[in-house]
Amino acid sequence: MSAMPGVVAINTFREAVRDRVLYNLVFFALLMIGAAIIVGQISIGIERLVIVNLGLSAISIFGLVMAIFIGVGLVYKEIEKRTLYSLLSKPIRRWEFLVGKYAGLVLTLVINTAFMTLGLAAALFYVARSFVRSDASILIAIYFILLALALVTAIALFFSCFSSPMLSTLFTLAIYITGIFAGDIRDFGALTHSSFIRGATSVLYYLVPNFHDFNSIAVAAHGESIPFALVWQNTLYALMYIVLLLVASSAIFSRRNLK
Amino acid sequence: MTNASQKRSSWLALGAVPLLFAALFALQTRIDARTRTEAQEELLLRSPRAIEKISLGYDSLLADIYWTRAVQYYGGKLADQNLHFPLLWPLLDISTTLDPKLLPAYHFGAMFLSEPRVGANRPDLAVELVKRGIAANPDRWGLYADLGFLYYWYLRDYGDAASAYLAGSHTPQGPAWMKFMAARLDQKGGSLENSRMIWTQVYESNSDPKIRKLALDTLKGLKAEQDEQELEAVASEYRRRFGRYPASIAEMRDSGLLRGTPVDPDGYPYVLEPDGLFGLNARSTVAIPLEPRTPPRSLAK
Repeated sequence: MSAMPGVVAINTFREAVRDRVLYNLVFFALLMIGAAIIVGQISIGIERLVIVNLGLSAISIFGLVMAIFIGVGLVYKEIEKRTLYSLLSKPIRRWEFLVGKYAGLVLTLVINTAFMTLGLAAALFYVARSFVRSDASILIAIYFILLALALVTAIALFFSCFSSPMLSTLFTLAIYITGIFAGDIRDFGALTHSSFIRGATSVLYYLVPNFHDFNSIAVAAHGESIPFALVWQNTLYALMYIVLLLVASSAIFSRRNLK
Repeated sequence: MTNASQKRSSWLALGAVPLLFAALFALQTRIDARTRTEAQEELLLRSPRAIEKISLGYDSLLADIYWTRAVQYYGGKLADQNLHFPLLWPLLDISTTLDPKLLPAYHFGAMFLSEPRVGANRPDLAVELVKRGIAANPDRWGLYADLGFLYYWYLRDYGDAASAYLAGSHTPQGPAWMKFMAARLDQKGGSLENSRMIWTQVYESNSDPKIRKLALDTLKGLKAEQDEQELEAVASEYRRRFGRYPASIAEMRDSGLLRGTPVDPDGYPYVLEPDGLFGLNARSTVAIPLEPRTPPRSLAK
């Protein structure tokens, strides 16, 4: 494999920085500072809990917005601005370009999340005045959020290979929400007497990425431990799904007529 | 556009924006004055399960928001001196369904629900809430202590109170005093001494100033009740010796049955009433706890 995906990834990250994407960190910081100061005065007994819940939820929501809205424009923008043609005239294969674009956005998300993690840690220290061993669960919860964001980015990139940003956003959001309710959909099927519906809901359950499994916010907020088995299973699940989506995206993009 | 007119427009905008904001503020205040009371009593979504589904995985954050709303609702009602809390149970129900491990909602929520003086006077719902908390967090001894307290103080059910304390003592970190408390309740049931022990535990295990004040006030009341009982026993002894009740505390002192002038926890002397009964000074803030009223069953959940 050539170094081209790496070059594309770095440039995608630089482009995101130039587009002032990381300005969301200012909002995150203000949110954390506000919560740390206000919550103790308006509620009872949940100062630490709110900081963790709010911090992790904000990391997830901010990341999700970035992953979807930037992800769906990754390929489309290059075609629209006609920069893709000059890029593809260089010794780079289409799949390498896609992988580079994907890695660039994931790198942006990782750096963004790292800064938010520091903000969350500072707010937590301000409220609790110390860190405890169980706070390690928060880092695992953040890692799970990152896995989910990487997966969402891959879905957005997949749709951006053949659809407009508007439709890609809708499709990605639809798959994300379906993925959250995957377990409920299967349970719903199990309640019916129709073997067809039961089969269809089971297929849907295994087809859509199960985002519910990546949510450990409540567990981390209560300082409970997250089993190691879940860490490697979620990692493997996300990796396999991402590879699957990138392969499918590359196949579609390679066959796409760009004229 | 010339430079001068550009400058004029900028100054105009600079003046107009704050003025418009001030006008908006005045208008919003007028609208709020008309609609605020109605809005406060509203809870658009009452189904905890529905809220859990639409939270899209952010259920624990939503639980914190609903719990904060419950605290604000309770505090607002107290500030308005309105002890009718129709939304308290739904708010607590939603908070604890969204996050079954939200311990403050069980602990403080039970207090808000059960208190007759500063709460909804629904110990039955408080018991239900704490039992739900125990089902979701069986290892948390504090919830068993809350349940024992509710049974003991509000429902006067000493058997169930003893069982709750005993169950709490069996949890991994259950303190030894719970077993001791269970044994005492089994032997003696309700007594001033047990009440003081239980309220001392409430005082020591809480950091919330409102609940600590409630516990401290109750402890003062219990101390006064105990003092009065002891003074009445001395007055009875006086009657046994002299054939009549004492006419004043000075008489009791002169007889040698009493040393000094007994004062309540606020520092005011107790007042001797006819027939050897004792009461509190009119200026004292101490209040002897009332027997809990029967919960109004007509109130909907």
